[in-house]
Amino acid sequence: MEITRLQIILIMGLMALAVRAVPQLFFVGQTFPEAWDRWLRYLSYGFICSIISVTLFMSAGRVEAAAAPRRAVALALTIYIAHKTKSAVTGMLAGAALVLILSWFH
Amino acid sequence: MFATRFRQGMKAAIPIWIAFVPSSLAWGIAAQDHGLSLGEVVLMSAWVYSGPAQFAVLGPLAEGKSALQVLVAGFLMNLRFLPMSTALAPFFRGLKWWQLLVASHVISASSFIVPYMQFQKDRVAVSANSPNAQAMEGYGNIAFFLGVGVTSFMVWVTGTAGGFIAAFGFPPGFEEALKFILPGYFAGLLVVEMKGRAMALICLGSLIAALPGALASPAWGWLVTAMVVATLGWGWEQWKLHAYK
Repeated sequence: MEITRLQIILIMGLMALAVRAVPQLFFVGQTFPEAWDRWLRYLSYGFICSIISVTLFMSAGRVEAAAAPRRAVALALTIYIAHKTKSAVTGMLAGAALVLILSWFH
Repeated sequence: MFATRFRQGMKAAIPIWIAFVPSSLAWGIAAQDHGLSLGEVVLMSAWVYSGPAQFAVLGPLAEGKSALQVLVAGFLMNLRFLPMSTALAPFFRGLKWWQLLVASHVISASSFIVPYMQFQKDRVAVSANSPNAQAMEGYGNIAFFLGVGVTSFMVWVTGTAGGFIAAFGFPPGFEEALKFILPGYFAGLLVVEMKGRAMALICLGSLIAALPGALASPAWGWLVTAMVVATLGWGWEQWKLHAYK
């Protein structure tokens, strides 16, 4: 039996929903042991940092070598400003402004 | 209370909306290039709602590869939602199963990070003990989560349809700033919440290790390196805790 593109999309969505919903339904409101809780937290932070790195420095499976230095500088500025001001948005705006200016000079 | 927390979530999601605009437009344009119809584009964005998985299956779908191949590719990309959903679950106590089922549809990397960081902060500030207080906390948390998730979802779906309808081109420099917004915002959130040496080392280690990991395997490498670095950091901290006891 041939599966149509529409059916593929529908099955794909169901599988995505299952991956999202199953942990919610099984672990809702549960308090994990302190060590587990910390491991889960560290895992989340590790994922977030990996996402930052891959989003900023890679495109289509390759390192964006030309843009990487200016983005790294902008990321460093973001971290510094966010740390000093205790504001994620201020840090992000400073970094975005810097990367914009640097890309114009490039 | 629900409306207030929903609005707070919406406010926190503004950088995500801005960042979703170019990527959703890009996917809409790419989908049109690959021969998908507008209906398929909107359905896929609304029903699958996963940028990386949507990009990953575009080629195989257009080339008429086997359904199994497309589904496995999409499933592997979406497995990253498993730990995210698990990490969020403890914050939604007191909710009915169907409410969780509906809400879980809008879990994405972005709509996970912002609420998760907020819940961590709230947990330190308020520690609910009675069952009623715990249920109230769960409803407040889901309202905040939906404020982030539903609005980001709407921007994503609208953006992909917009990208399909009209080819959209940002000036190169402007695009560069848009690309920076989301990772920059995530980095800022982490820095503001940063506590202890273990967390700083895990963040730095994951940031660096993700690149060789993603080069080795674009779909899985960065996930594996994050898991390894986080587990090593956690193990080191556990060992230190036991050594001092």
